[in-house]
Formats: sequence, C-alpha cells, structure tokens
Amino acid sequence: MNTLTVPASGATAPSRSRRRGDLATDAVVVVAVVAVLVVGLSTDRFVSYANLKAILTSASLVGIAALGLTLIMVGGAAVSLAISQTVAASGMVFLSAQSLGLVPALVLAVVCGAVVTGLQGAVVGFAAANPVVLTIAASFAITGVATGLTGGTSVSPSGTGYDVLNATPGGVPLCVFVLLALTAVVEWVLRRTGFGRSLYLGGENRRAARAAGLPVGRTTTVAWLGAGSLFAVTAAFTAAFNTAANVNLGGTLTFDAIAAVLAGGTPISGGRGSAVRTLAGAVLIAAVSDILLLRGYSTGVQIMVKGVIVLLVVVLVHLRSKGRAS
Amino acid sequence: MTVASTSARTGHELVRVDGLVKSFGSTRAVRGASFGIEAGEIHALCGHNGAGKSTVVKMLSGQEDPDGGEISIGGEVVDLRSRQAAQRAGVALVDQELSVVPSLSVAENLMLGDARTGWLNRARRSRRRFRALLDSVGLTHVALDRPLSSLGIGERQLVEIARALGQDARLLILDEPTATLSDVESEYVYASVRKVAATGCAILFVSHRLGEVLALCDRVTVMRDGAVVATAAADGLTVDSLIEQMLGEAPSRLDRTRAGRSGDVVLSVTGLSVPGRVHDFSISLRAGQVYAVAGQLGSGASDVLRALAGLVPAATGVVEVDGRRVRTGRPTVASAAGIAFVSNDRKTEGLFLDKPIGWNLLATRLPTLTRLGVVSRARWSRSVAELLGVCAIEPHRARDAVGSLSGGNQQKVFVGRCLHRDDVRVLLLDDPTRGVDVGGRAAIHDLLRSAATDGLAVLFSSTELEELLDLADVVVTMHKGDVVRTHVGDTAGSVLLREITHGGHDPHDPRDPHDRGVGAPAKELLS
Repeated sequence: MNTLTVPASGATAPSRSRRRGDLATDAVVVVAVVAVLVVGLSTDRFVSYANLKAILTSASLVGIAALGLTLIMVGGAAVSLAISQTVAASGMVFLSAQSLGLVPALVLAVVCGAVVTGLQGAVVGFAAANPVVLTIAASFAITGVATGLTGGTSVSPSGTGYDVLNATPGGVPLCVFVLLALTAVVEWVLRRTGFGRSLYLGGENRRAARAAGLPVGRTTTVAWLGAGSLFAVTAAFTAAFNTAANVNLGGTLTFDAIAAVLAGGTPISGGRGSAVRTLAGAVLIAAVSDILLLRGYSTGVQIMVKGVIVLLVVVLVHLRSKGRAS
Repeated sequence: MTVASTSARTGHELVRVDGLVKSFGSTRAVRGASFGIEAGEIHALCGHNGAGKSTVVKMLSGQEDPDGGEISIGGEVVDLRSRQAAQRAGVALVDQELSVVPSLSVAENLMLGDARTGWLNRARRSRRRFRALLDSVGLTHVALDRPLSSLGIGERQLVEIARALGQDARLLILDEPTATLSDVESEYVYASVRKVAATGCAILFVSHRLGEVLALCDRVTVMRDGAVVATAAADGLTVDSLIEQMLGEAPSRLDRTRAGRSGDVVLSVTGLSVPGRVHDFSISLRAGQVYAVAGQLGSGASDVLRALAGLVPAATGVVEVDGRRVRTGRPTVASAAGIAFVSNDRKTEGLFLDKPIGWNLLATRLPTLTRLGVVSRARWSRSVAELLGVCAIEPHRARDAVGSLSGGNQQKVFVGRCLHRDDVRVLLLDDPTRGVDVGGRAAIHDLLRSAATDGLAVLFSSTELEELLDLADVVVTMHKGDVVRTHVGDTAGSVLLREITHGGHDPHDPRDPHDRGVGAPAKELLS
C-alpha cells in the first residue's frame, strides 16, 4: 500500500539556491577572518615574530589533541569527554618511564593513550554505546586508577630525556613543528586512505555503512586508537613542560580541544571535517585570545569570547548544511 | 478465520465520498472515487498496490487535499485540510505503523493527542473515560497504569484503536491494522472492531488479507487504477471474485521467453527463521536467474532478505554461499561472503546523501581500490567512470552530492554500487523500485537483468504483480511468515495475488473452495 509511486520531484538540481546559500556563509567567514585580521593588525605588538610564535605555541598543545578528536568526530556523532584524564595518565607514564630513555618512554605513553582510548572506541564501534556516557565513565575510571597508583601525588621524571621535547629549534618550540607535521599526516590519512574514506562514510550514516558491509566497528576502533595516540603526544609535551605530572595535568584540555575542532567548522554530527580545519580552529582561538590578552582584557573575557566563537561557527556550519539539504 | 458476521448496519448513510480526484505530478492517483459508509457498518476498501487506497485514506484523514470531489459526514460537506480538522470532523485514523509509546503507561498513551485532557490533566475524570474506552475495545483486563511495553502487539494495536475512539470518532479508518499481527492477535482486533461498529460508528477497513475482509466486513469497495470498480455486499463475494475485480485485465503470466541459462547453485538457504516474522524459509538460488519473494507488509518477505544480509541478529538457519557456510547476524560477514544488499530504505539505510555520487558508487568496494590501505586515484576514477556509465548518469556529476539526484537516479546509484564487483555472488534487493517513477523503474529492471546475465543470482522482494511477472524467473509467495508456494514457469497473476493476500488453502475457512495444498515443495523445484 505504500508503493504508490510518487515521482521524487524537487530533489533535482537545487544547485543554484544551494550555491547562493554557500556564498552567503562563505561571505560571513571572509568577514570574520578580515575582522580578526583588522583588529589584530590594529593591536599593538600583534604583528611580530615573537607574537606569532606565541600564538602557534599556545595553539599547538590543544591542536595536537584536537587532531585526535577530529578522527573521533569525523567517525560519527561522537566526542570524547575523557581527553584531559587520558592526557594526565599518559603524562604520568611518560615521566615515570624516563629512566628507560626518551623513545621507550614516548612509546609507552602512546601505547597507554591508544589502549585506553581504543577500548572506548571498540565499545562505541561494536556495541554502539553512547560515546558521551561512556567517556564520562571512562574519565572517572582513568582518574581513579591514576590516583590509586600514584597515591594522589605528583609523578616526577625518573630521567632527563624528556627535556628534548622542550627544545626550540630555530627559536620555535618543537611542539609547533610536531603540530604541523601531524596535521599533514592526519589530513593525508583522512583523504587518501581507504580507512579515511570509510570513516567519513560511517560517520555520515552508520546504518547505511553497516548495511553496505563496511567494517564500522573496526574503523571506529582504529580512529579512537589514533586519537588516543595523539592525546598521548600532547601529554608528553605537557608533562615535559611541567616536569611533573599529576591527575590534573590535562586541565581544561577536553573542552579546549572540542572548541578547536568545532571552531574549525567540523560538525558534531559526523561525516565531515578535516585536520586542516581543526588546525585553523585551534589557531583562530589562540589568535583571538592573544588579541584580547594584548588589549588587556581579563581571562574571563577571553574564555567567554572562546565560547562565542564556537557558537558562531556551529550556527554557521548548521545554516550551511541546511542550505545544502533543502 | 472463525469470525462470524453479525452486522450492525443501520441503513443510515453516515459518510459519503463523492468523486474524489487527486494527482501527484503527472500521476493520477485517484480519478473519481465515490462510495458511502453507513453508521454501524464495517466497510472494506480493497485494491492492489497503486490502486489508490492509500490516497483515499490520506484524503479522508486530512493528510492530502483532494484536487476535486467532496467528502460529507452526517450529511454535511466537510473540509479536511489537516489531521486536526479531520479529527474535529470526527475522523480517526489507525495507521499501518503503531504510533503508541512503549515506555509510557496505557493511560498516558491514551492521553497523547487527546485534546480533552488539557494542560493540567484532571486525572480522575480522564481515568474514568479512559477505562470506558479500554472496555469498549475489549481490554477489560488491562489496568490503566500498566506499562504499554508489557502488552502484546495485538493489545497495543487495540490501545491505539481505543485512543482513536477517544476522539469521538464518527468514522474510524483502520489502515491494515492486522498486517503485522498473528491470527490470535488479529481476532482481538476483529472483535473490538465489531464492538465499535455496534456503537454506531462507521468503519473503513483497509486490508490486503482478503479472507479477513470477507469474514469481517459488511460491504466491500474495490478500487483499481485510481477508480472505484464496484461496491458490493461481502456476502455475495468470494476471494476469487474479489481478486478478479482487483486485477481486471492484468498481466497474467510469468514471461518465460527470457529465462536465461541458469548456472550452479550459488546461495542455498535451509530453515531460515526469524522469531515472529519468518518461519522455516528454504531456497536455492542459481547463478544467472532472477528470483522474487512476493508478500505484503508483514509477510516476512522483507525479513528474509534482511536476515540473509546479516542485519537480523535473531535469525537462525543455515546459509551457504558456493557451499561455504555463512554465519548469520553480521553484515560484514555476509558482505565478505559475496552477498550484496539493497535496502528498501534508501535514505537511512542506503546512500550517503551528502557524499558525492562517486563516493556512493564505490562505498562497497573500497578494498579493491587501495594498495596497502592507500586509495589509488587512477583506479578510483576509472571505477567511478565505469559505474556512472552502467547507471547512465552524466560523468560530470560525479562530484555532486548523491542527494541532488532524482529518486530514480539515486536508486540506480544504490543498485549500481553492487554491480561489476568480482566478489559479489548474490544480489538482494528489498522492494527495489519503491518510490521510483516509471522511467527509473525500467532502468533498474534492466540493471537487474544484466546483473543476472553477468552470472549473479538476484533475489528481490516486491508487492507489485507487474514487477513480479515482468522481472522474476521464479516467484516464491509468502504469507504471514510462511512460504505459500514456489512458481517456476507460467503462472497467472491472479494466483500470485491470491496467495500473497490470502495464503494457501485454509481448511477452516468455509469460503475457500480451492484445495491447493499448502507449501508446495519449494526445494525440490529449485535445487
């Protein structure tokens, strides 16, 4: 009775209006970038090598973690709320393994981040668990285990190899180079590998991907494994910088990383987004915070503006995808 | 069917439908439908798919505006421009799909959409009214506070009918209320429908189950090609005379001239069951042949395909592809074994609408396009070009979102992505031309035939006679989860229709003069 054939009209070629909608939102993006530049250029000391370095440095630690989160979000309507805790745990592993040397310590930290996050990914991917609920639970579990093992105290480095991460080749902190390199790697993986393409497909429509026989569970797990590794890289740099690690090492990183990914225009609904976008989002937030700092606004204002940026971008992305759908 | 007709007809015409006309684009869905329903009468609306029943129901329930004609209730012409307006005029609809909420209590479900409950629910008065409503459909044993989830499907359907009655209905429309119910559950529904009719309500009963139509209803209106063919008293009709009226001069036989060379057995299914949906389904598919499972909503035809595609975790039975056992319940396993599936729900379980056409065409064959996990651009674009050719879509559109295509072209992409793959042995399609226009339909039929010619075994489900007779070499009819019969060679359309609407021979039904023997040996014929 439901097979009455009604030609699906209206679905054909709405391209003109779609383009008009895209143009409108593109215009908003251009205006926003120009506005940031104008305000920046008119701000004292904004255009200087030292300041540029400062912006990139503050973008880099959040940015590396946000690259990991990008993998998770592209893979579909998911977000990890356990980033700070994963970073704290991996940071502790990194410092306490320093006696083995820098590289083994780094490997151990990455394994820690990857396993902890990959396990959550497997549950999300194979058992379709709600990622928000699951990662909140995981964040408590991680903190609990870490507190238990350390007795609640800070972990001090058992060697000095970590200091290599604090190097500043050519006057630029090492983490900036690492951010740029990892952005390139993640972008390449997303665009050019079969894994990347199935991640986009599963992220856009999980049921369709399942029915098409795509390995949704495996792809999701691999994405989360990659994300955990990237969290651990951020952890190593943060721990090396602080020369100590306790359960609060991650600070507000969870929400900073989410903000960076969203500010880059990657929608929370999955199936879209890229590493380059996330890099742009991290730099945008860092630049605006920097401008506010230079102009003497309080920390409260800086944090508030961060929220406004995220909100504006999300609304913009939504309007744009709505224009596409209609 | 153990129901006996105890008519509550009053002879007083309560509802009158006069010359209703409705077109969608160039398709004339309804061209002049007229009939009347008396107070207390159970009136059946019958017709094959596409006859216009759904559209008439939609116009009566305020979901579609008629292009012409009028509807009068109680002698007054009514304007039903929305579902709310229809409700105010006294029209209540119980839809095919259940729209009750399992997590709420029975009383809360009755409250949903009930205008009289208001913002502050005046609990006591409402409860008394709800109790009376439940009693009126025969749910005297069900407490108001029971969670709906503790009721069976049939009882839930009754709650939905009770809710519809709570809207002070003068006309109650039941659109295939028993399609997904068991016999026992259906009996509940019949009993309550009779009770409701006895209160003087006019009832329009839409059903594909012709046996139940004849046993339950007072009169039957038959539609064909958008027009009313006849309205007649059910007493004077038989299942066969009803089918004759529904079909008119329909295509009458499977066309054998086309039957291609058939190869080895590719897929063999033994004892496939899905609890409550499919009972002991067996079939063997040979390469180069097109097979169909024919059945209405709730017949299990669609469930058979979904189970074979690994999408039904509860499915049991032995499935073998090329003699190798395939574990059921895992889509990745089915896909790896060479089973490709085209869902009947293109939007949510088929295409990736925001993604480019090229991506959609290649989604199912990513591993063949990568070397060490890296996508080969050359192979990617070669494959896209090839498949666009297969689907006859302009090459320059490869990068457009697939959602920008027409429904027919989207469906071609959906089917096309399963073709020209070395690893696919069996192609399953659930209602492959649903919502596709005539042109797109012919193109998809061509794709399926050429797929069979290329050596695939093709199995599709359909409810449309024309499609079954046109496309399939072998048709398996299903009714209420059981295989009725397997047809190889010449078959009359009326026989197929009889089997999918009425099942096999029913020894308990005195109205059934035929003795066909239930469940003819499907396997012997095929393997």
